[in-house]
Amino acid sequence: MRVLVVEDDRDLNRQLVSALTDAGYAVDTAFDGEEGFFLGETEPYDVVILDTGLPKMDGISVLEQWRRAERNMPVIILTARDRWSDKVAGIDAGADDYMAKPFHMEELLARIRAQVRRASGHAKSDIECGPLRLDTKTARVTLSGQPVKLTSHEYRLLAYLMHHNERVVSRTELVEHLYEQDFDRDSNTIEVFIGRLRKKIPPDMIKTIRGLGYRLSQEGDAD
Amino acid sequence: MRTNSLAFRLFATAVAWVIVVLPVAGFLIYSLYRQEVESAFDRRISVLLTVILSDAIDHGENDPGVPRDVGEPLFEITQSGWYWQIKPLDGRPGKPVKSRSLGDGMLKVPSEFNIEPNDREVRWANLEGPAEQNLRIAETVYVFGEGKKAGRYSVAVAGTLGEVEASLRLFRTRLSLALALAGVGLLAVTLFQVRFGLFPLLRVEKGLAAIRNGSATRLDMELPREIEPLQVELNALLKSNQEIVERARTHVGNLAHALKTPLAVITNESREDDTAFSRKVSEQAGIMADQVNLYLDRARMAARIGVIGRITEVRPVGESIIRALERIYRDKHLAFEVDCPSTARFQGERQDLEEMLGNLLDNAAKWANATVVLKAIPMPEGYVPPMPPGDAKAKPSDAVPPPPQHWLEIRVDDDGPGLTPEQLAAPIARGRRLDETKPGSGLGHSIVADLAHSYGGRLALVQAEIGGLSARLLLPLSV
Repeated sequence: MRVLVVEDDRDLNRQLVSALTDAGYAVDTAFDGEEGFFLGETEPYDVVILDTGLPKMDGISVLEQWRRAERNMPVIILTARDRWSDKVAGIDAGADDYMAKPFHMEELLARIRAQVRRASGHAKSDIECGPLRLDTKTARVTLSGQPVKLTSHEYRLLAYLMHHNERVVSRTELVEHLYEQDFDRDSNTIEVFIGRLRKKIPPDMIKTIRGLGYRLSQEGDAD
Repeated sequence: MRTNSLAFRLFATAVAWVIVVLPVAGFLIYSLYRQEVESAFDRRISVLLTVILSDAIDHGENDPGVPRDVGEPLFEITQSGWYWQIKPLDGRPGKPVKSRSLGDGMLKVPSEFNIEPNDREVRWANLEGPAEQNLRIAETVYVFGEGKKAGRYSVAVAGTLGEVEASLRLFRTRLSLALALAGVGLLAVTLFQVRFGLFPLLRVEKGLAAIRNGSATRLDMELPREIEPLQVELNALLKSNQEIVERARTHVGNLAHALKTPLAVITNESREDDTAFSRKVSEQAGIMADQVNLYLDRARMAARIGVIGRITEVRPVGESIIRALERIYRDKHLAFEVDCPSTARFQGERQDLEEMLGNLLDNAAKWANATVVLKAIPMPEGYVPPMPPGDAKAKPSDAVPPPPQHWLEIRVDDDGPGLTPEQLAAPIARGRRLDETKPGSGLGHSIVADLAHSYGGRLALVQAEIGGLSARLLLPLSV
């Protein structure tokens, strides 16, 4: 999952990037409103963390412009302005959630997970696909109740496929949602990790749809 | 009319003036009139004395003759009050002559009482006459005859003072009546003058009341030149007041932004590793964050206390917050029911109502299973809320205004798990979290209670009819 952090405070920005990376997200950052707007408008993010008091363009304007441009990714506003009038203004501008500073990183991570799940149409924190089960809270995957050992890159790939199970996901989409902006998009990393995942879960759960991409579906599906 | 009022002062001054001036004026007018009447009466007697003396000289030789052409018929009527007499003095023989009105009686004359004559040789006195009449008598002494036959005679004319007194009595009555009427008229005019003169001030009073209850933001009326500067100054004061509040709000907001981001950084940094030092930093940063929130809330409240009131309708505020909550809690598919009549209007700042409703509705949405109900009830006139136990302990600030005259109850109910009777009975304290399993600072209810207190209102938590918690907020109602 790919997250954009728009926060002008360099320390807080760094902490957010660190915590999100540790939680398995690919993170891009922006330090002012204009840069944040540009990234949000051009890149496909699964969640955006947006401060309101930003230099060059304030967060609410950035959000309104994204929504006008029909950029519908979930946006969590992170701000020191915690009055309800500010919250209502933020939500009315198109935010999906609102967090006041100072905050607990765990709570922010929980809210990011909730937004990612919601965006992919899952109501619960556990996502199941046949014998596979992903606990988004603990970032653990089990196969028929047995834990599956995954590296962080493998986890990110499998988690994305599970969030969008039964749907064909293109290689480009995977690259866009799993790696930061400066990732070498021409490398064959995705193919390598798909191959590794197939060794850890029933291999025919991840199907290659020629010319289109990959689809995670329940074991034994005829295709 | 209150005693401590401009109208009373002006009216009382007018009454005092009327009480002092009219009797003095009456006394002066009466004295002048009396003087005039008495002097006219004396002139009349004096003329009659001259006529009688001339007549007596004309009709006599060595003795006075009987005057015949006096021309006053009252001298002919017995005891009419008008008399004349001429009698010899110094024991000189001879019968006195007198008017028919005297009958057998004789007049007492001033010379018998050693009264000195004036420069025209006439003695004046008020003496009792026949039939106990009070008489004004003029007497002169004239020498009739010549040589050895010459003799002094007392010539006297008297008129009854009853006539003068009757005239003065009538005048007194009429004068008193006229002055009393003038006094009443003067007071009526003064009353009108006071009302008319002070009317612009009454309008200013009404204008200020309109500002106070929020239906106006400034004085805007045609006023007399004398109090026009008052309107200008008041408007300037209101504007400056508003600006100070806005500035304070901006500073508070800026301070919030300035402090909270570094606090977030410190908190996050200290949670990175698990040493005694970082735990202490994390703990202290948490305390600092709570303190920042506490004092920011107080600063916001202090910025508002004393500000001229505003009116905020409950329904639109509730609906805007519910719109936000529907988005935040959209996974829960909650049903929000709103029952707020248009008469449910809070006498206070929109931001404060937003803060109270936001915290209560957010809390309700967090815990509700399926339903959250927002209901606003304007309480009937004369409603006095019961004082809940322990309520005074939750008082956050010294500057608590007097209780409102009219009340508005706002209920936020949910169908969640609710609270135990012990939790419901405990006072709402800052930082007390009734359940640790859901995120939140535990400040929500206490912020609401503090804000309600700052308006003279209160917050109570009871069991909701639909099963969960019912937060009941009593606030001033704008009527």
